[in-house]
Amino acid sequence: MSEYREIIIDHFKNPRNQGEIIDADKVIDETNSSCGDLIKIFVKLLNGKIMDIKWQGVGCAISTAGASMLSEKVVGMNKSDLESFGESGVVKMLGGEINAGRMKCATLAYRGLLKVFD
Amino acid sequence: MFDVNKIRADFPILTRKIHGHNLVYFDSGATSQKPEAVIEAMNRYYRETNANIHRGVYEMSVESTQLVDDTRRNVAKFVGGESEEIIFTKNTTESINLVAYSWGDENIRSGDAVVITKLEHHSNMIPWQELCRRKGAELRVVDVNENGELVENGEEKILDGKEILVKTGGWRNLLDSDVKMVAFTGQSNVLGTVTAVSEIVRMVKKLSPQSLILIDGAQMVPHMKTNVRSLDIDFLAFSGHKMCGPTGVGVLWGKREILNKMKPFLFGGDMIGEVNLSSATWAELPSKFEAGTPDIAGIIGLGEAIKYLWGIGMDEIRNHEKELTEYALEKMKQLEKENLIINYGPEKNRGGVLSFNVKGVHAHDTAQILNNFGIAVRSGQHCAAPLVINFGVSAMVRATFYLYNTREEIDYFIDKIREVPKVFA
Repeated sequence: MSEYREIIIDHFKNPRNQGEIIDADKVIDETNSSCGDLIKIFVKLLNGKIMDIKWQGVGCAISTAGASMLSEKVVGMNKSDLESFGESGVVKMLGGEINAGRMKCATLAYRGLLKVFD
Repeated sequence: MFDVNKIRADFPILTRKIHGHNLVYFDSGATSQKPEAVIEAMNRYYRETNANIHRGVYEMSVESTQLVDDTRRNVAKFVGGESEEIIFTKNTTESINLVAYSWGDENIRSGDAVVITKLEHHSNMIPWQELCRRKGAELRVVDVNENGELVENGEEKILDGKEILVKTGGWRNLLDSDVKMVAFTGQSNVLGTVTAVSEIVRMVKKLSPQSLILIDGAQMVPHMKTNVRSLDIDFLAFSGHKMCGPTGVGVLWGKREILNKMKPFLFGGDMIGEVNLSSATWAELPSKFEAGTPDIAGIIGLGEAIKYLWGIGMDEIRNHEKELTEYALEKMKQLEKENLIINYGPEKNRGGVLSFNVKGVHAHDTAQILNNFGIAVRSGQHCAAPLVINFGVSAMVRATFYLYNTREEIDYFIDKIREVPKVFA
């Protein structure tokens, strides 16, 4: 079960930074149209950098772990940091083995986060 | 005599290994596998015959034209229509769009209504949604009950969508003299519900006699004998690739007198009569609706697929699928009793489709874990988002059967479903 490494199962079962930020600077909704997964991301910004992040949503193990792990990585990042992290950074973060059919799951939170800086 | 092992030997792909396991292909609802005869017929065409159809006077062009004409005759025979009523398209979606644009734009006006059902694939939903939006017409959607069966009498509800009025309810709530088109599926791609086409047609003829009827046959024509005359319908749309043919060829059958009155959908070569610099006249059926060079090899492949299905027998195929489905449903009910899964869909009148979720596990995760055991199933909304959401979930796992599937595969599949929750234990 190469996709379901311990770390993914851990983040899926105990997602980090789940919740909401009442006075968020940006709130983003992102959906995965192939399966109906959706995520709501709350972000506090300071000088163009992410200072705090919380998220809510339902999804599969891959998208949930993707959101949870990403939320631990992005605090302090600005737009160009996030862009250079890239989808390849998401794949690496998840352990390096995501098949093409699951890329939309893996990058759901990441695609949402990019919109923070739109 | 239906011999599944003999049939399996006709499909080269079925010997493939996935992650070291024998392939268990349970996604024929998305596309079927192809027998050697179909693959070989297309290869032979490209190796020995390849030439464009029509007009060519040389040997190979005449042969190509002959092969396409033969297929058209066989497709017509397969569904009980006439050759010139068979229009080759790209797929079911294009066939339905052809009707929605060509017939719809000329015949639907503000105040008219189009009736579809909640069972529809997006391909038989969005073309009508958009037609209604263009014309200010009403879209009426027949509800399903908790088993995924269409309801005859229901509760009428009005939804005010974006620039479009949508009404839901039972057949008898929605059929009246405003209805100009009733378009519905012969079998749900999500739940396997086989709709009572003949009964519904009778109801439409009584309550909306002015309406035309289109059947989305994508999940029906590959699995059961279909006859457009005895069903008494006006249009039938289906895809070759779900019935052992190649991708790239779909079919629209339409009643000759209706097709004759319709304007062309696409304009260009092969669909014209006389041409001058300011105008053109249109060719006769079916050329009027077949602009440009078609997928000749694909059409020839579809012709071979039809011969293959005839060789097995459509009733035998339907029986085999019925047996498999009953066998599988029994086992799936047992898993449900054990609180491992939730099943969706009807108990009776069901095609070879299982829809379910493993409790506490997202459909995509279930499908991926089954893939690691060599089992190919689909997960998600199956191009029918409103229907899936209707059951209170965001996604479902779907396993679909065809003539080459076996009880042994089902046993293996049931066994591996039990493994899914263990990954998250």
